[in-house]
Amino acid sequence: MPTVSATGLIIRGTDWSETSRIVTLWTREFGKVRALAKGGRRPRSPFESALDLLTLCSIVLIRKPGGGLDLLTEARAVERFVGLRQSLTGLYAGVYVAELLGDLTQDDDPHATLFEEAVATLTDLTAGTPPRMLRLLRFEMVLLRELGYAPQLEACAGCRGELVPGPGLGFSPAAGGVVCGRCRVPPRGWRRLTPELWLALRQLVDEASWKQVAAAARRELRGLMDGVVTEHLGHRPRSAAYLRDEG
Amino acid sequence: MAVGEPRGPLASLIEEFCRLPGIGPKSAERLAHHLLAADPAQISDLIAALSRVRDGVHPCRTCFNPTEGDQCDICLDPRRDPQVICVVEQPKDLMALERAAVFKGQYHILQGRIAPLENVGPEKLTVDQLLRRIEENQVRELIMATNPTIEGDGTALYISNLLASTPVKITRLARGLAAGSHLEFANRDALADALEGRRTF
Ligand SMILES: [Zn+2]
Ligand SMILES: [Zn+2]
Repeated sequence: MPTVSATGLIIRGTDWSETSRIVTLWTREFGKVRALAKGGRRPRSPFESALDLLTLCSIVLIRKPGGGLDLLTEARAVERFVGLRQSLTGLYAGVYVAELLGDLTQDDDPHATLFEEAVATLTDLTAGTPPRMLRLLRFEMVLLRELGYAPQLEACAGCRGELVPGPGLGFSPAAGGVVCGRCRVPPRGWRRLTPELWLALRQLVDEASWKQVAAAARRELRGLMDGVVTEHLGHRPRSAAYLRDEG
Repeated sequence: MAVGEPRGPLASLIEEFCRLPGIGPKSAERLAHHLLAADPAQISDLIAALSRVRDGVHPCRTCFNPTEGDQCDICLDPRRDPQVICVVEQPKDLMALERAAVFKGQYHILQGRIAPLENVGPEKLTVDQLLRRIEENQVRELIMATNPTIEGDGTALYISNLLASTPVKITRLARGLAAGSHLEFANRDALADALEGRRTF
């Protein structure tokens, strides 16, 4: 069976037995991977203490063909994002990143760009700049784009018609983006799209201008993003209730 | 073994042993055969010990440490300072700290840690009881001894934030414990060191 090396972020961990752990990793090379770490709960294991949530590690895996559980033979922590543990806002934003990576991606479907974005996000969340809520919103936008769920912002997501600014304009997670006045159905999650919110959304998708999103728009964006993520996930993320905006 | 197939008493005993942590089929078989050959009095003692645990042990009214009485021995010990409380996730963490034998205060067992991904919020822990206890006993110091994992650190941070506006001094176990490790596996010296070197949040 092939032994491979990879770099991955621990996004889930459960104790499997008195001494072993099952971890889910978001790896650069293979995408989402689930692996058994035998002896992973012992203090002097080949994993040291690299198997904690939100640890970036370099790993050695024995891949099991046919979707079985891989075997983790080595893990060494590369970055622990220690600063995350000093701020509840940062810590739970990090847990939210882990939850989305775990629940929105498929096994063995690598997205190197999304891997880099996740690591960059955790680095920024640790530092606290740009504002953590804005950083998280940008991560979510990149995640949606990478997974093929980018919201439609430039034409009506319902009828593909031109969007005329005005009070009828809205955003619909179910339709997949901005909708015109005639496309208010399906109403699920529909919200009015003010010119400020529309601008903020366009800034958020743009690599060059996402940091310019107005602080006042973040609350509305949070609610909107919550709706979009819930739509794709089929339920609200468990850690969403823990997210805070420090202002 | 197929469903519905009758099991002999020995087979069921082996199966029960297998469900215990750290016991594989081989050890289970060895234990079962050992008991088969054992003095009946030894087996009666084992049965009695098991039923005492099942019927007589419940969480201490004050600190949630498993005990037979209303309160545990630590809470009842007049030499232990009720105004200094060490907060841990599980009884096994309390036992590990007691083995280090340097702590003279009392404990509070949270019965877990905040784990959003597992749907464990603060309301599922004994946080409210801890807050009440702090108020009623004018607690001076809280030592957060949750595991130094992301979830353990988050739980410690959550509780310290709740108490930010109170005069309670809040410290965290420090040196000796690697981030991402577990208290129950730490050695005695590392734990003693961590208690000594605790720092303010
Ligand atoms: Zn339309
Ligand atoms: Zn007690």
